[in-house]
Amino acid sequence: MFLGMAPGVGKTFEMLSSARRRKAEGVDVVLGVVETHGRKETEALTEDLETLPRKPVEYRGRTLLEFDIDAALVRRPELLLVDEYAHSNAPGSRHPKRWQDVEELLAAGIDVWTTLNVQHLESLVDVVWRITGVRVRETVPDQALTRADEIEMIDLTPEELRKRLAEGKVYLPETARLASDRFFKPENLTALREMALRRAAQKVDDELVGHMRRQGIEGPWAAGERILVLVGGEPFGGALVRAGRRLSDLMMDAPWTVLHVERPNRPPTAAQAQHTANALKLAEQVGGRVVTVTGDDLLQTVLEYAARNNITQIVIGRRPPSGDSRFRLASPFAPSLAHALLNHTTGAALHIVTDTPSGETQTVSHVPSLGRRPNWRGYAAGLTMVILSTVVSAGADRWMANANLAMIFLPSVLIAGGVFGFGPGLATAALAAVSYNFFFLEPRLSFRIGHVADLITFAVFFAVAITTGFLTGRVRDQARVASRRASVVASLLASSRRLSSVSTRSDAAQALAEQAAATVGGSAMVLLPEEGDLRAAAGSPSLEVLGPGAMTAARWAWEKGEAAGAGTGTLPQLEWTFWPLQGLRGRAGVAGVTHSPLKTGDTGEERLLLSLLDQGAVALERAELATATVETETLRRSDQLRAALLNSISHDLRTPLSTVLGSATTLLDYEPSLKPEVRRDLLESIREEAHRLNRYVGDLLDMTRLEGGALNPKMQWTDVRDVLGGAIQRVERRLGSRRLARDFPPELSMIRIDPGLLEQAVVNILENAIAYSPDGTDIEVAAYEDRANVVISIEDNGKGIPTAELERVFDKFRRLQQPSDRGKGVGLGLSISKGFVEAMGGRIAAASPIHGDRGTRVLISLRKPTAGAGAAAAEAA
Amino acid sequence: MSASHPRILVVDDEPQIHRFLAPALEAAGYVPLRADTGEAGLAALATRPPDVLVLDLGLPDLDGKVVLERARRFFEGPIIILSARDEEIEKIDALDQGADDYVEKPFGVGELLARIRASLRNKASRGAGSPVVHAGDVEIDFVRRLVTRGGEVIRLTPREYDVLVALAEAGGRVLTHGQLLTAVWGRSHVEDVQYLRIIIQRLRQKLEADPSQPKILVTEARVGYRFVGV
Repeated sequence: MFLGMAPGVGKTFEMLSSARRRKAEGVDVVLGVVETHGRKETEALTEDLETLPRKPVEYRGRTLLEFDIDAALVRRPELLLVDEYAHSNAPGSRHPKRWQDVEELLAAGIDVWTTLNVQHLESLVDVVWRITGVRVRETVPDQALTRADEIEMIDLTPEELRKRLAEGKVYLPETARLASDRFFKPENLTALREMALRRAAQKVDDELVGHMRRQGIEGPWAAGERILVLVGGEPFGGALVRAGRRLSDLMMDAPWTVLHVERPNRPPTAAQAQHTANALKLAEQVGGRVVTVTGDDLLQTVLEYAARNNITQIVIGRRPPSGDSRFRLASPFAPSLAHALLNHTTGAALHIVTDTPSGETQTVSHVPSLGRRPNWRGYAAGLTMVILSTVVSAGADRWMANANLAMIFLPSVLIAGGVFGFGPGLATAALAAVSYNFFFLEPRLSFRIGHVADLITFAVFFAVAITTGFLTGRVRDQARVASRRASVVASLLASSRRLSSVSTRSDAAQALAEQAAATVGGSAMVLLPEEGDLRAAAGSPSLEVLGPGAMTAARWAWEKGEAAGAGTGTLPQLEWTFWPLQGLRGRAGVAGVTHSPLKTGDTGEERLLLSLLDQGAVALERAELATATVETETLRRSDQLRAALLNSISHDLRTPLSTVLGSATTLLDYEPSLKPEVRRDLLESIREEAHRLNRYVGDLLDMTRLEGGALNPKMQWTDVRDVLGGAIQRVERRLGSRRLARDFPPELSMIRIDPGLLEQAVVNILENAIAYSPDGTDIEVAAYEDRANVVISIEDNGKGIPTAELERVFDKFRRLQQPSDRGKGVGLGLSISKGFVEAMGGRIAAASPIHGDRGTRVLISLRKPTAGAGAAAAEAA
Repeated sequence: MSASHPRILVVDDEPQIHRFLAPALEAAGYVPLRADTGEAGLAALATRPPDVLVLDLGLPDLDGKVVLERARRFFEGPIIILSARDEEIEKIDALDQGADDYVEKPFGVGELLARIRASLRNKASRGAGSPVVHAGDVEIDFVRRLVTRGGEVIRLTPREYDVLVALAEAGGRVLTHGQLLTAVWGRSHVEDVQYLRIIIQRLRQKLEADPSQPKILVTEARVGYRFVGV
């Protein structure tokens, strides 16, 4: 499924491009329905792909061209492209919705690629409506995503999409055009994009979690982790709550509780009570459980609560190292609570969150991750502009009123505030006021104010200057915060998307190294544990050889679980800084970067890097678990196979044995009283069943050879017609009244195969054809060739194979469960045929029904050698 | 229904089984009837009840146990199960559900015919309520509650006597551990197979000529015991 955020991101285009690649790989690709909307580039992609004709459907006097599902079922391609999953079919079609068509195709064993925009998901309709004001009518159930085997996210930035829209590259139906302006607003697109990304990532997650649960792999289940967040009137209580929430997200939605301890012996101040109330309110909003308990001994109360509720993770705030006096007074926790918990907690990890206390209390939001430095340039520019204004004012002084001179100063204030932020704006305003007063208000060259009117002018000017500076500065700060936030979110989303899509440890390491390198703008390395030591697993821009010093730092980080190298207390002289990759089940490895934010002191970057490393650690673990899952799956399947084998031997080998034993004992016990023809019949029955038994044993041996990899095809130049003749001879006796026709061409290229294997493969198919077609019907064996292949076709007129079973006919122990089908073999025949044909580099496929509602055709295609080799064969012959 | 030619209905989906069973049954003096599916078997059973039903547990259309359960709603005659050796649980379930006996596939014809004979005899004796049962030189007199061996009275504990009678009354049919335990000790002891083992051991000591090679109280491995009379 190709998933996008909105029409026009290029899903169809991408689907077609991928399909062409598949086609080039030899996959049988057919276009079921593709909406090119007249786009040249897209149309060009469809050109040499086979396209199913559409079915005309009459509806209210109009003829609609709909997707023809029956044609698709008859054509049976390996891969069918069905565009626009959410499409509603014209009334009178088989299914009201196209997604139902897709269901049927999948059930019929046809692989389907389709496209979907995220707003069509049922559960998102309300959300989309609230965001965009557009109510989506064509919806698909959310399970569509869950059921899809693979999801490819087609991503485009909102700007790019709007550009394409403006250039007319996006097709919209007329009815939607009215809504399109509202729908395609950048903020809407951003929201939709996030939804799409989230859904895609969630799918990857769900799949893995489900898989691991099913396999019973011990993992970081939500049940395992319980998070406790302690709030106690900190101004940054919100940050604590959010830290708890993030931790819970990381731990697969572990339950998390925000705890507030009320202490009767120490009532909080009004401000603290307000902070606590805010934090608890936020906790409720973001999905935490809120608990308030009462107790005089804070430490004891917390420890008891944690023990009673099996808490495994505790998040607590700590006052900043600077020891801000305001904060100390504000904290109801004893300064040492974090320490006390460290000393007394057992079985729980402690997360200590520090924050600048002013962080969230002021309206001018100092988003802590921004890591602002004093903006000297802004102040310098403000000063310069004020001097300039003074000079200009001095020039204009002669012919302008004093009050008007003030206007000359105002632009400086506006510019300083607008460009450099609140601080420089305010400083410039003050400077401008002082300068104006000093130079241009009577008495001049003094700070005194002579006239009341001047005083008012001055006051108004000063007020306007301050207000302007404040407002423009604030707007600017907010814009900067917003853009920085957006870039952080985008960066995290990008890396989370990459990391969640990797399936192996080395891929995860590589993705992490690349993202880390991009974040710090330097090099990054990821080291993973291997045989007791760390080994460089991935690097960006390239895998580097780390010096002994760097390796020591890396090992230190691995063993101690703390950062080492540049900017830390351990080996600070190094160029590299290493962090442990702390996953949920332990340390997953170590990551190192140059240009560490620890050294540069960029706290925003540090945060970004650390959360990236957290994601990376989880991704590494996930990849490890995925590998374990695959191994378990393999084991399970081989167990299943063994069980099936036993079951099969038990029933299918015993039946002929029963007949042999029963017939023999009948003869022994009652021979004198049996009529001669009955005696003969019993003897024949013994012979037939002995043959049958022999075939079963042969099948089992063949299968064992295939499974055990002991199959060693002896390739030799062969005339396929001879092989077919031999195979037919072997089954002739069992034909009964069925007629077997041959259709061989007079000339057929020789090919290099193992004639023994091919004969057995064909015999198995013929036996199957005989077993499943009634007496008196025809079976046809044909051979022909095209440019690249020699093809064998075996057709019967039996009742055919149900569509749902068709894809599995080549599976082991697969028999059609029909009353009369018992005793027809252990269900290995076709699976052996497939194994043999594939061992010789050929391909095998089944199609059914072929004649009306009856008949099955099995095709074996064997590659012809290249021209040169063919000539050699001709010479050899 | 002729007493001299009992009708045997065989329900099995393997045509080869019918192919040898039909002449064998005929040669042994029975009238063989054939059904290939569970539904067909039930229909035949309902329209013209046979004297004995031989039922394969592994049928393609219905679970053999379902056929058994439905058959038992209206058919009181003996039912003999055909099953594979490794389908023990199914076998025991079938016996507990009212099947009279079983034969393991692959089987010799003699084995099946012996079971058929035993079940028919048992059916007859059920009606007659024969007061005395013989096995070798052992004689059990139900009326006098007396067990003799070669004319000599054997002293049995009440439990031993109950177990012996339960087996003897089954008339050569196998009884599962569960059936014996329920009959003698009661429902709550249905799992206590070791009680049964001890009693059987003691009975063999007292009744069998060679207790290590029992001829009268025969073990059906992992299923139960069978009383082999004359």
